[in-house]
Amino acid sequence: MAEIVIMPKQGLQMAEGTIMEWLVNEGEEVTEGSPLFEMETDKLTITIDAGSNGTLLKILRGPGDVVPITEPIAIIGEKGEDYSALLNSMGAPPVAENVESENETADEVTVESIKAEAVKVPRTGKVFASPRAKMLAEEKGIDYADVDGSGPEGLIIEKDVLEYAANPIQKTAATPLARKVAELENIDINNIQGSGARNKVLAEDVRASLSAGQTPVQTDVTQLDEELIPIKGMRKIVAERMKTSLSEMAQANHRITVDMTNSVSLREQFKAMGTKVSYNDIVLRCAAKALTEFPMMNSSWTEKGIILKKYVNIGMAVAIDQGLIVPVIKNIHLKSLDAIAKESSELASKAKENRLQPEDYTRGTFTVSNLGMFDIDGFTAIINPPEAGILAVGKLAKKPVVINDEIVIRMMMQLSLTYDHRTVDGAPAAQFLKRIKELLENPMLLI
Amino acid sequence: MISKERKFWIYETMNKIRYFELKALKLFEENKLRGSVHLYAGEEAVAAGVCSQLRDEDYITSTHRGHGHCIAKGAELDKAMAELMGKVTGYCKGRSGSMHIADFTKGNLGANAIVGGGIPIATGAALAAKLQKTDKVAVSFFGDGASNEGTFHESLNLASVWKLPIIFVCENNGFGISVPVSQSTSVENISDRAVGYGMPGVTVDGNDVFAVYEAFEEALKRAKAGDGPTLIECKTYRTLGHWTGDPQTYRDKKVVEMWRDTKDPIQLFKKRLVEAGDFTEEELDKVEEDAKIEADAAAEFAINSPNPDPSDVMDDVFYEC
Amino acid sequence: MSKKTYATAIRDVIAEEMRRDENVFVMGEDIEILGGIFGCTRDLYKEFGVDRIRNTPISEAAMIGAGVGSACAGMRPIVELMYMDFTLVAADQIINQAAKTRYIFGGKAKIPLVIRGQQGIGRGNAATHSQSLETIFMHFPGIKVACPSNAADAAGLLRTAIRDDNPVMFFEHKALYASKFEVPDDPDFCVPFGKADIKRAGKDVTIVGSLLYVSRALEAAAELEKIGIDAEVIDPRTLVPFDTQTIIESVKKTGKLVVVHEAHKVAGWGAEVVSQVVEGAFKYLDAAPIHLGAKACPLPFNIELENAVVPSVEQIVEAAKKVCNKK
Repeated sequence: MAEIVIMPKQGLQMAEGTIMEWLVNEGEEVTEGSPLFEMETDKLTITIDAGSNGTLLKILRGPGDVVPITEPIAIIGEKGEDYSALLNSMGAPPVAENVESENETADEVTVESIKAEAVKVPRTGKVFASPRAKMLAEEKGIDYADVDGSGPEGLIIEKDVLEYAANPIQKTAATPLARKVAELENIDINNIQGSGARNKVLAEDVRASLSAGQTPVQTDVTQLDEELIPIKGMRKIVAERMKTSLSEMAQANHRITVDMTNSVSLREQFKAMGTKVSYNDIVLRCAAKALTEFPMMNSSWTEKGIILKKYVNIGMAVAIDQGLIVPVIKNIHLKSLDAIAKESSELASKAKENRLQPEDYTRGTFTVSNLGMFDIDGFTAIINPPEAGILAVGKLAKKPVVINDEIVIRMMMQLSLTYDHRTVDGAPAAQFLKRIKELLENPMLLI
Repeated sequence: MISKERKFWIYETMNKIRYFELKALKLFEENKLRGSVHLYAGEEAVAAGVCSQLRDEDYITSTHRGHGHCIAKGAELDKAMAELMGKVTGYCKGRSGSMHIADFTKGNLGANAIVGGGIPIATGAALAAKLQKTDKVAVSFFGDGASNEGTFHESLNLASVWKLPIIFVCENNGFGISVPVSQSTSVENISDRAVGYGMPGVTVDGNDVFAVYEAFEEALKRAKAGDGPTLIECKTYRTLGHWTGDPQTYRDKKVVEMWRDTKDPIQLFKKRLVEAGDFTEEELDKVEEDAKIEADAAAEFAINSPNPDPSDVMDDVFYEC
Repeated sequence: MSKKTYATAIRDVIAEEMRRDENVFVMGEDIEILGGIFGCTRDLYKEFGVDRIRNTPISEAAMIGAGVGSACAGMRPIVELMYMDFTLVAADQIINQAAKTRYIFGGKAKIPLVIRGQQGIGRGNAATHSQSLETIFMHFPGIKVACPSNAADAAGLLRTAIRDDNPVMFFEHKALYASKFEVPDDPDFCVPFGKADIKRAGKDVTIVGSLLYVSRALEAAAELEKIGIDAEVIDPRTLVPFDTQTIIESVKKTGKLVVVHEAHKVAGWGAEVVSQVVEGAFKYLDAAPIHLGAKACPLPFNIELENAVVPSVEQIVEAAKKVCNKK
């Protein structure tokens, strides 16, 4: 029996994934547990293994395709097996069914060509929902096909419907046929006014908007000497978050220079005992302590009020090939310096190897970003929402400084704090930064 | 000595059984009666000889070949025939048919379609009689085949150990369906097995009413005196097939004819009664005629009785308080 | 209320019912001076005599048959089987005789018979003395099936069983005999048949179990509470009659069902529960129900092997997490 391979949901927030590369060609054997394809989600790149034995009969979605979770992407079965029935079951019936249900009078030729297209590139698989979810959806007048499933194999369960009901995704209601036509004609369905029940967009609405002259989405924006990089995956997420951060927060900045001489000798002492501790780990430790003393820096602004967090989770920005990711050290205020060192090094290698799980990079309360290794003296970082602050750390360097009216050479470092002025005013932010400086200059205070 | 009245009752009962069975056979052949019907014709001396000495409050358990015991224990032919035809007027409201017929009001704890199934139940009834300190007795009728079942051995042992007022009456009719007793049973006389359970065992001619009567009379005395059980083996012969429609390829027709023509228990008993001057031949012929009429009337009653209502099919699974 | 063991609760009810009704008597193996191998008739022969606390030979078919016969003849026998596994030796007398007598005789017989004894794991009795057979007897119409999970239910259900005019299979669990529970002192305290008991109320998942698996389900519920799953634990208490309604009402609330028993999973009574719930509350289900039972192999002797065959508390927890979609 041929089986459908679907875009698998990886991690809590994943709604869609981008196929990067098929590791098996059509017609080749696959074995359960062997790598099948690589995909990229918001935050990570993952190799997905085959779930069954057989032959990769058909690849439905190629590299670069962005596919919603649970939608079919390939078919595995026995060599030479006829899977056309399976293809038909995926694509055609929903189109035909909905033509009837919406009383559409699309001319036959169009419907046929649409069907043929649907067979070639199936849009959606069957949507599965638990009986309870279906009952609830019916009670609440929700089309459960619009709800994302979080149950086993993408099953829509009660919780999903409840969440959807509380916060429905503003998705344009449209018949599958209308979506198909819009897709074929390259029109954004969200810009079309629907004439069906509950303003559902019908295929005739799409055709009407076509004749009214709505321009197809321009795709050939590039000249010969330019290249278009599609905005997706991690790029898209970083872009959205940074934009939200700057547009929604009142971000302000303080800078301070720190004498790191004592921290350097602390690190040397650890090194002598055989424990590797980085300067950044010491900064993390000091920031954690300071955050417990300045709870407003460890908060989130929401419409309902400011949420003060009783736990300190500091994210550490890590640059990776695909972009930027911020793994989080949870409950860092309860951890010793050597424990922090161990965890930060593990998280950094996981990030570089694309092994981070969603729980590794969520629920941060504050971020430390360090560009010292790139020889940067100091910089201003953008807050990672919904946090209230971010500490930017510059390079460590010997500098002449005046101490007791004498010029001496000390290990110096620049810190830059970006904070959300909606939550924290300038003076307390300054006190917070000053406290970090104090701790770094007198690391004995950490004990 | 059997009183004259009791002799009459026995003769009458044997005839009732005989003509009931022949009528049932006819109804079966006419396709008016279905199911497994095991006929008792030719073995009437056992049921009648034993039951003539029982009161309504004494218990019996019977077998798949149970019509004779049922009638001898006082059942009315019409209700019995109605049950055979599955009618609502039957003793068991059409639930039991031939193989499970019972009349609790007459102490009949039922025919039992499982070979040996009734033996421990009769033992239990005897236990109750003893615990309740009554003088009731229990009789378990069973066949030669049942004497090879575990329940036979367990029950005889139990009844003997507990000195229960029970008489085990084995009707050895020569065959377990097609298998002769000589091929299935380790002893010459099944009554020999009584020795193993510390009780008296006696083998009698099961076609001789007087032999059956006397052996049972003795056993009944022991039971009532608190001396415990007795095993009585009544050697008889099944002159009809095991069931209606049995091809009987396993036995010599001549032997069957010999038993039927020369050892028929009713004819033997009739001869003795006439010879002794108890009754005239005419008087006894009248009894036979009456039995035929009663059996015919029972068939009429059964045929004209309504079937049970299927909506009642779930009734009586449990006793509802 | 008196706190007493499961075994003592059973013994006390037998004694009280024998005092109340002289037709009640007990027969079984080693029940007289030895008091039964689990002590459920200890010293009762002293009060009631050896006629009513009656040792039997090792003849299960005759014992149960005698139970049927004496019940037909007006007594209220309690037959103690040393192990419920031995019902199989006497299966004909239970299934063909006791269960069917009333029905096939057109409702004219009453069979007030209790067949009681213990079963299950816990003492290294191995394959022929550790089985859980309650499902088998649930299959045949005409016998009631009771499965008490604590001393109070044992007392209340046994009294109901003795006073019932139908054959009752009364399944005790060997691992529960020493467990203590508050038992009402009322000499008429009866637990009605066909009334399930909610042993723990909850809103997230319905866990149905009986006998030893009530306490195991409660342990699982305590574990589940730690991770935010609020389990409702239901003990059906009698399998015949079966209180489907209480379970369906619970599933309507929780949307999730786990059934667990010590009897083999294959065709075990849990499958019947799942079937009834799917038929009766399909649209309320938020996940496919999970049915846990012993693996399809005989009960082995070695304690670790024995534990590997029957469902563990961890498996109940995992099943509940799974139906709750909790990773």
